[in-house]
Amino acid sequence: MRWGPVALIVVLLAYPFLLQGPFYEDLGVLVLLSAISASAWNIVGGFAGQVSVGHAMFFGAGAYMPLLVYQLWQLPPVVGAPLGVAVSLAIAVLIGTPTLRLKGHYFSMATIAVAELVRLVVGNWDLLGAAIGIMGPARPRGWWDLTFRSAVPYYYLFLAVLALVLGATWWLQRSRMGYYLRAIRAGERPARSLGVPVSRYKLYALMLSASFTSAAGSLYAFKTGFIDPESGLGILVSVQMIITAALGGAGTLFGPLLGALILVPLQTATNTWFGGSGSGVTYILYGGIIMLLARFEPGGLLVLYGRLRGGALRAWRRHAA
Amino acid sequence: MVLLQVVVGGLLLGAVYALFSSGLTLIWGMMNFINFAHGEFVMLGMYAALLTVVWLHGGPAVFGLTAAVALFLLGVVIYFGLIRQVMRGPMLAQILSTFGLALLLRYLAFWIFSPNFVTLPKTSLAGSVNLGGILLAVPQLVSGLVAVTLTLAMHLTLTRTTIGSRLLAVAEDRQAAMLMGIRPDRMQSIAWGLAAASAGVAGALMATAYPFSPSVGETFALTAFVVVTLGGFGSVPGAMLAGLIVGLIQALSAYYFGPIYKDVVVYGLFVALLWFRPQGLLGKL
Amino acid sequence: MRQSAAGTTRAAAGISAALVIGMAAGHALAADAVKVGVIFPLTGNAASAGASAKAAVELAVEIVNGTDKDYGKIPGAGLGGLPALGGAKIELDEADHQGNPSVGQSQTLRLITQDKVVAMLGAYQSNVSFTATAVAEKYGIPFVVGDSVALNITNRGYQWVFRVTPVASDFANNYMEFLKDMTKAGHKVETLAVVNENTDYGTSVAGTVLEVAKSHGLNVVAQIPYAANGTDVSAQVLQLKEKKPDAVIFISYTADTILYFKTMKALDYLPPMIIGDDSGFSDPSFIPSVGDLAQGAMNRSAWDIGKPGSVTSKINDKFKAKTGHEMDDTSARDMQAMFVLADAINRAGSADPAKLQAALKATDLKPDQIIMGYRGVKFDQTGQNTEAATYLIQLQGKQYVAVWPQETATAKLAWPMTGWK
Repeated sequence: MRWGPVALIVVLLAYPFLLQGPFYEDLGVLVLLSAISASAWNIVGGFAGQVSVGHAMFFGAGAYMPLLVYQLWQLPPVVGAPLGVAVSLAIAVLIGTPTLRLKGHYFSMATIAVAELVRLVVGNWDLLGAAIGIMGPARPRGWWDLTFRSAVPYYYLFLAVLALVLGATWWLQRSRMGYYLRAIRAGERPARSLGVPVSRYKLYALMLSASFTSAAGSLYAFKTGFIDPESGLGILVSVQMIITAALGGAGTLFGPLLGALILVPLQTATNTWFGGSGSGVTYILYGGIIMLLARFEPGGLLVLYGRLRGGALRAWRRHAA
Repeated sequence: MVLLQVVVGGLLLGAVYALFSSGLTLIWGMMNFINFAHGEFVMLGMYAALLTVVWLHGGPAVFGLTAAVALFLLGVVIYFGLIRQVMRGPMLAQILSTFGLALLLRYLAFWIFSPNFVTLPKTSLAGSVNLGGILLAVPQLVSGLVAVTLTLAMHLTLTRTTIGSRLLAVAEDRQAAMLMGIRPDRMQSIAWGLAAASAGVAGALMATAYPFSPSVGETFALTAFVVVTLGGFGSVPGAMLAGLIVGLIQALSAYYFGPIYKDVVVYGLFVALLWFRPQGLLGKL
Repeated sequence: MRQSAAGTTRAAAGISAALVIGMAAGHALAADAVKVGVIFPLTGNAASAGASAKAAVELAVEIVNGTDKDYGKIPGAGLGGLPALGGAKIELDEADHQGNPSVGQSQTLRLITQDKVVAMLGAYQSNVSFTATAVAEKYGIPFVVGDSVALNITNRGYQWVFRVTPVASDFANNYMEFLKDMTKAGHKVETLAVVNENTDYGTSVAGTVLEVAKSHGLNVVAQIPYAANGTDVSAQVLQLKEKKPDAVIFISYTADTILYFKTMKALDYLPPMIIGDDSGFSDPSFIPSVGDLAQGAMNRSAWDIGKPGSVTSKINDKFKAKTGHEMDDTSARDMQAMFVLADAINRAGSADPAKLQAALKATDLKPDQIIMGYRGVKFDQTGQNTEAATYLIQLQGKQYVAVWPQETATAKLAWPMTGWK
């Protein structure tokens, strides 16, 4: 595992130089965005084992706020990012306190319902552009508007945020909180009997996860310059985070990143090759591949990696012996 | 009078919700399994009805049956081909695999039938009746009543027959059931068949009144989630009650607050209810 | 088409990085072909409209590239390609934006930077048109908008966006003029209801209609927004039944429009007049499904099939042969956009985007040079077609006929509508 992360970091840093051209740079940005939101979800969904299907509300808060401050006061969108985090934290506390009492599927269903409520309310709220959505600056007024023609500045901005999320996750894994969360995931009752403050730590995990998800939403808004209820708050936004994390390996540090590295190019490639034909083959392949990966590797692809690596190591040892 | 009209309309629609949710609650309760592709079963039931009408010139009675049989078989195939393996993994694998399955089924239908909306050619179910001042479309009335009957039948099958008690035994305690000589695989595949069939029949019933396209399933999946959770995982009577309640609330709030608020009210009440009664209306903790 | 053929040969490729590199391939074109990028929603909820629009744009290109000279005065039709470019053919490069603004952005980027298209056309949903046109603007590639109606697609100061279609305020004004004419003709039109689906399309059109109705002094007794994916519309119909408006404007998609007519019949309610705002009322499945319940319903359209033997009727026949259904207004507007673009490329005499932009700005098409009922095509500073117009058609028997305004009418208007009666 020593060399794996190093190689990954080098490749991530050098990517814009390896695959040049605006489309590939843009694809790199989309991979990072997906990795950031899936890693953020992973904190509460993977490590704490609380499968939220409503993270779109945090993503949406992060995406709406920057464009809203621009729309209302012509402020640079980046000013809205901390506001998005603040709103997300407020929602997390407000929603988390009641819903985190619920176990397993009940929690998942409650988060779906709350996220749908948020989507419906925003979709009818004129200040937030209702169903039409809100737009960012049509043209950059300066670099601070974070509206770039090239995708490369976005790439490194997103990469920095990803590093921050993964760094926080890494720290979390080793901290006391990380042990608590693992204990909670293994079973709340035993965890409680060991003296773990279950409710409090579940809420902390949700708050941390919500802040980073909101940051992902803000990055999306900078890059896309437009947000509407479906693309910011739709249930697919939440599901995308879950399948990305689950595919790579939920509850692992690099699982969500691995998931994003596979899913986003897969989605883009199937769309690029088959989308123009209009036959729906795009999703037959995309859905089919996701299904088969889950069928053959239900624990996520990092498990597969571990097994292959383990196998390779054993073979090597056998050989050496 | 208008109130009565709204109430009856809501209950009839709720009965159909109850039918397709009763299948979902069965596998959810029995195997603790979330199925994101349940709405697609409803959609496939609609197309099964369409094919029956076009190829076999069958009426509603025939296409209800063909939809049930086709979807039952599909459910069994999906169980053996996918679910059996995924069940052993974590809950996230369920979401991942059934989301993939949902996309696959939806876009296979898209590929075969094109994305265009279709309605069933005129069937014997048409026109409307006046029941003491309440106007009801015949397709709506028939589907509501058939849905109630089938949901009750499903409940009775589970509680009064050998196969039902075997199904429940597996749900209760898989190990113990195996010791009793029940083959869990067989029971679980039957449960998946029943779940898909109930969704398929509900789809066929709705197809009599509702225009459909391959992407129609999405809405039904969310409705089914709410109904199942509200009723309590695994409880068919719970799904029945919750289905009727959701239909009723939607109809009342659509009429009195406006159609855009009907789902706001449903989700709001849903979240509130979970707060007070986390196990659902008729669920056990 | 090229994409699918090239795609299938590559279908067996693996996933991940291998895929990415593969995407660069696919440049097997004739040296002189002029490449135009087209994006529509070809999957997702609007796929049916997207597929139809795509077919219409393809048909426009077939007509321009072909040698059939039977298309009247449509510029460039039947000349076997673009004469000013030495007979170069137009080649379409089609992509699917899945109804997602972000995918629209990245696919537009791909068409422009990887495939080097010289112009773009699209994108049906307004939210995708917002983001896709922004990419074209950044890269200096003309983007012709065929059918997205949200106002602020053209008022952002962009220099590379050209919109051929009329916008929401044009329709709203038409409706009010029409209702005024009806009052003059002695029909009672005092109260109006607006029923709209609540995504961006319905919300923006309804908003404009309400504003314009107010300025015309019409009494709007009810505005009923609803979610188009619902399975039940009886609440809306019951509310209408209670308010008894003299006319109802429906801004709705396909399934809901069909459901409205079925439900109105079941609940035995029919307003004196229903005006549909295109969309669901123009969907190919509308007339086969509920045509017999919707007799006399009005619809907005700038497309009229016209008399047998006319250019538009011939186009409709070709379209029907290609897709199995008749041409609808949305697809026809996209087809018109393609003709406008082809004309501009030909006048530019070059595939250089800047020359193309200048040619588009100088566009001046007359009513007899276009297939739509516009007064012509001429772009203002913002890129909006100032000559765009629409007329109202009425469902009589198995098809829509043009009934308003008087000058373009081909049949007599029936008021009130008869529905299923």
